[in-house]
Amino acid sequence: MDIGLLGQYLANGVMLGTMYALVAVGFTLFFGVLDVIKFSHGDVLMIGAFTGFTTYLGIVAIGIENPWVALVAVLVVSIATTAALGALIARYLVLPLKSAPPLNILLITLMLGTALREGVRLFYPDGSNPKAFPALLPTASLELGSFSLRADSVILVSAGIAVIIGLNLLINRTRLGLAIRAVAQDEETAKIMGINYTMIVLVTFAIGSGAAAFAGIMNGLYYNEVNFGMGLLLGLIGFSAAIIGGLGNIYGAILGGFLFAGLQTVGAVALPFASAYKDVFAFGVVIALMAWKPTGLIAERSSDRV
Amino acid sequence: MKDDVMKTPIPVSLPPLATGLIAVAACAIFGWLFLLAESEVAVLGLVLLAVLAGWGAQKTGLSATLGTAMHQHSGAMNGAIVASLLAVIALLGTEHFPLLMLSTMLLYLVAALGLNVQFGLTGMVNFAGAAFFGIGAYTSAVLTTHTAVPPLLILLAGGLIAALIGALLIVPVVRTAGHYSAVVTIAFGVLFKTFLEVNEVLGGPQGLMVGSMNVFGWDFNNGPVLMGHEMSFYVNYALLSSGLAILAFALTRRLERSWLGLALDSVRLDETASACFGINVVRAKVLAFTYGNILAGIAGALYGMMISFIAPNSFTFSDSLLMVSIVLLGGLGSLWGSALAAVIVVLVPEKLQILQEYRFLLFSVLVIAMLLFRPQGLLPRGVRSYFPGGRAQR
Amino acid sequence: MSSIKIENLYTAYDKADVLMDVSLAVEPGRITCLLGSNGAGKSTLIRSILGLTPPRAGRITVDGKDITGAPTHKVIGDGIACIPEGRRMFPKMTVSENLRLGAYQVRDEALIRERMERVFETFPRLAERRDQLAGTMSGGEQAMVSIGRGLMAGPRILLIDEPSLGLSPLYVKENFRIIESIRETGITVFLVEQNVRQTLAISDYGYVLSGGHLVAQGSAEDLRNDKEVYAAYFG
Ligand SMILES: Nc1ncnc2c1ncn2[C@@H]1O[C@H](COP(=O)(O)OP(=O)(O)OP(=O)(O)O)[C@@H](O)[C@H]1O
Ligand SMILES: [Mg+2]
Repeated sequence: MDIGLLGQYLANGVMLGTMYALVAVGFTLFFGVLDVIKFSHGDVLMIGAFTGFTTYLGIVAIGIENPWVALVAVLVVSIATTAALGALIARYLVLPLKSAPPLNILLITLMLGTALREGVRLFYPDGSNPKAFPALLPTASLELGSFSLRADSVILVSAGIAVIIGLNLLINRTRLGLAIRAVAQDEETAKIMGINYTMIVLVTFAIGSGAAAFAGIMNGLYYNEVNFGMGLLLGLIGFSAAIIGGLGNIYGAILGGFLFAGLQTVGAVALPFASAYKDVFAFGVVIALMAWKPTGLIAERSSDRV
Repeated sequence: MKDDVMKTPIPVSLPPLATGLIAVAACAIFGWLFLLAESEVAVLGLVLLAVLAGWGAQKTGLSATLGTAMHQHSGAMNGAIVASLLAVIALLGTEHFPLLMLSTMLLYLVAALGLNVQFGLTGMVNFAGAAFFGIGAYTSAVLTTHTAVPPLLILLAGGLIAALIGALLIVPVVRTAGHYSAVVTIAFGVLFKTFLEVNEVLGGPQGLMVGSMNVFGWDFNNGPVLMGHEMSFYVNYALLSSGLAILAFALTRRLERSWLGLALDSVRLDETASACFGINVVRAKVLAFTYGNILAGIAGALYGMMISFIAPNSFTFSDSLLMVSIVLLGGLGSLWGSALAAVIVVLVPEKLQILQEYRFLLFSVLVIAMLLFRPQGLLPRGVRSYFPGGRAQR
Repeated sequence: MSSIKIENLYTAYDKADVLMDVSLAVEPGRITCLLGSNGAGKSTLIRSILGLTPPRAGRITVDGKDITGAPTHKVIGDGIACIPEGRRMFPKMTVSENLRLGAYQVRDEALIRERMERVFETFPRLAERRDQLAGTMSGGEQAMVSIGRGLMAGPRILLIDEPSLGLSPLYVKENFRIIESIRETGITVFLVEQNVRQTLAISDYGYVLSGGHLVAQGSAEDLRNDKEVYAAYFG
């Protein structure tokens, strides 16, 4: 295979890995603080992407043309709205079921995901058809032989990695992060330390959902399309990534995200005649990995949370 | 037992059996009217009537009396229920569409009973119910068009193939617990449709034709003749679906009340303790998972023959969630609950066409409300009654 | 100097009643102890004060302010700190992070650093191991972290639940000495213990809890000399 094509695959894999890691980190944060799986995460991401898209339409409608202004507006509105949605879900659907069997939260959020998906399909104007997401980033490209490196891809990946690093610093270096980790390790002792438990849970859900919104916008900018069903597969991939990394471990989630993207890329390279099978291949490997290491790759050694 | 009877403040104190038989007859008449109702107003009125009746039965203690009747006279009651199901089919006679709906509901019920064994009894989630149903349907499509296998055997083949493909998932599902095994079946449920769509051999997004059912030379595409009237050919499918549903129900009930069911229950409640008491947890899980998938596969195979044309779109993840909704709405482990919920989830949107488009939304919201406010379901499972030999008392 | 007043407290878990009509007072600037055997309900009383298990009935006031059933972080905000039973480290955090969490509601970084230095003076051993994961410390070292963590908030009232649990006699003795010195800094102490002799030796006043009922109280000296109480509850 020629180097150019390989480079293209690699660039694509890194892009996907960043997106998946952003989604997986959310799953891991939620699992960390509450020991729950919030499966609606992918559909919350979709809501983020649609909020961003709607914001863009609004920005254009009031006559602002500058793509950078539009981009900032899209990001701010989308992340804020989605973060609020995440906190609301935690407050009204997840916390009330905290003492019920853990499966119930998975079930309720699975159903919520369906409700969000169907809500957008049925009630967003022409919601059942894909929407063309605007290209807000410069598309200049650098030709390296048969491989072309596009500016928008570079910006997206850098921004995504910056967000991941930022989240990591937030968790490990700030007072808020200290509280989140404390709640994750021992809810009751965290309360005794004077931590407002409910608040920290809501903030954690807001942060995870904000990260998902970012990933949703990234996805829209990369593929120039958003649709009501985009969250289902992304959520499932994020969930699997978090699980193979070892739930509750932020590094595991990042590792899992890139691993999944790597598997998809390998699948696409190895099965060029049927690249549609790449997801089937990636999930097949993930399921096999889970059968082999049922508690994830990292949790096997140290099962720390967050 | 005595308590229940005394608690019922029914003014005219009919014996439980009489009350039960009247209730069954009323349900049959109601079902017949409902399936035939044409206008949306009529359907809505009937739904309202059913809700009121259900609420009233709860309030007046009628439902307690019915429970008593079911326990004390299970033979007579079950016989009456089967008889009224047959009566409804005979009464519908020439009506294609209502018969199709009834059969679809019964086949969904078969799949839901399987899910209930996995989920309600054993505590193993399976979010790929529609995929296993679809495996059955695709099996019957391939076998009816390319081979001369007798269709009745094809039903079994559908169940068998579903079980075999399920076996691929068994290792990760059994080795992992809770969330971890959930992701396995979710992934399978989501990818199944993708797989069918990209697969040329299985017809891609357009799907496949399925041949009709044929029992000992009787082709199901011919309407049977009853007293000189030719009836809808769907009567055949309705009868076979009823037979299947009754068989699945009886078998599942047997399983639930046997020592095996006890083992499944204890695996759900506490895996570690079960293992300590010498229950083979892995075997129990494999059994439950396989049993459920076989039921889904058989039901799917017959479903494919009945609608004669299948496409990936009928077996999506949302459909799997719809099946889970049946189990959850009815009540975990409650077989009659599944039956009631199958009626609600399958029939109501079919009759109220405005709802058809909104059904995934409607039932997901309904399940959310149920989990928040009535997690035990509409017809909660009673306290387990274990009597070796399968006969139950309370 | 602050005080806690508890009036006619009833607390239960689900259906099991644990505390029945308990009334007591923790006097400012003193060590008040609560003695009782396993399962008497001592920890439950502390949980009630902290709002972790809100009482069914009764009243808890701190310096006259009603805190009955208030959320835990509010109670901590009122100047109460707790050294919980079993020490309860955050095992995957370092010693200094654990200490830092003790001062979670303190916003002044300089003050936090100053307090941490003071803890390290009291327990030089912790200074050496400030970057070690708390979960890997020995039981005795964890006890030090737990006490230090309780002091980090600069509380007016300190609730201590069985500090001597699982410690060797030498450590126990050292712990009691430190608790005594905490009183000298003006902090009101409510000490829950089973170790009768050593607890009464440092306490000013004591209560005896048995089966959820208060069965005896008095100055530490009276309790020490009360042969009947001794025989009945600490035999
Ligand atoms: N979370 C809980 N749920 C139900 N019952 C509980 C719970 N916690 C404690 N109990 C019960 O409350 C009673 C009192 O427990 P508590 O922990 O207050 O005792 P204690 O006096 O602190 O005992 P010890 O000296 O052993 O620590 C016990 O019978 C215990 O079983
Ligand atoms: Mg205690």
